[in-house]
Amino acid sequence: MKKHKLILIITGAVFVVSVILSVWILRKSDRTMIEIVQNGTVLQTIDLNSAKDQDIRIESPDGSSYNIVSIRGGRVSVSEAGCPDQTCVKMGTLQSDHLPIVCLPNKLIVRFAEGGAS
Amino acid sequence: MNVRQITRLGLLTAAALILFIVELRFPSIIPVPGIKLGLANIVTVYAVFRFTPGETAMMVFARVLLGAMFSGNFSALIYSASGAFLCLLGMLALRGILPQKQIWLCSVIGAMLHNIGQVLAAAAVMRSWAVAAYLPILLVAGSVAGLVTGLAAQLILSRTGSNKL
Repeated sequence: MKKHKLILIITGAVFVVSVILSVWILRKSDRTMIEIVQNGTVLQTIDLNSAKDQDIRIESPDGSSYNIVSIRGGRVSVSEAGCPDQTCVKMGTLQSDHLPIVCLPNKLIVRFAEGGAS
Repeated sequence: MNVRQITRLGLLTAAALILFIVELRFPSIIPVPGIKLGLANIVTVYAVFRFTPGETAMMVFARVLLGAMFSGNFSALIYSASGAFLCLLGMLALRGILPQKQIWLCSVIGAMLHNIGQVLAAAAVMRSWAVAAYLPILLVAGSVAGLVTGLAAQLILSRTGSNKL
């Protein structure tokens, strides 16, 4: 088999596997415990079932920026960010086990905690 | 390097930067960090097939650095730089192997490598492998974007023949 055909087949295989994994990753979570992680350390763990509606302000490690994590009706999202790209805000509410809300500039992760199934 | 080469590379860098800045104005359809069309990749693919590896690397380096300056998003520099580095390495390795009609494939693989570079950099910065969950989604979006930009580059390369610029 020619080299470029092999490359084509490998690329196609990676694509198909990625599509399958994406579907799996984007499934909705049945967990209720979330954790807010910054720079690899867990800052807070919250149970969405019992949590009141609240806004949690989190400063970035160097203090130059911030994020506001909002809990509304048992759903969590980042409602405000001090960074220019606002990607974490646009991501909306946290839905999947595998896809955390990430703010890269402020090194912040909001995700479902392990073993917190309802 | 002579004046002719400097002028060519400068023109290419400018073209790539213009595409990059125009793209910043597009609203993002999918709100996942790292997903974009990557129009500047058209210029990179063109350079990979028309210039020497050294010249292409210089052009990409200048574009990534100036792109971060013009967009004001310096925190994204580490992700775009590591992505661009892996992408360039892969495309330079492929340019001798792939035939003219499969330049698009080179671009697709380049895009995938770019995504892998981004995720590796993000994992290093965040000190967490949680971001690896983004990789499959980035790969799917990246291959589609890479296909579009690759076909555009292929069209330009075949229309311009062997003329350099």
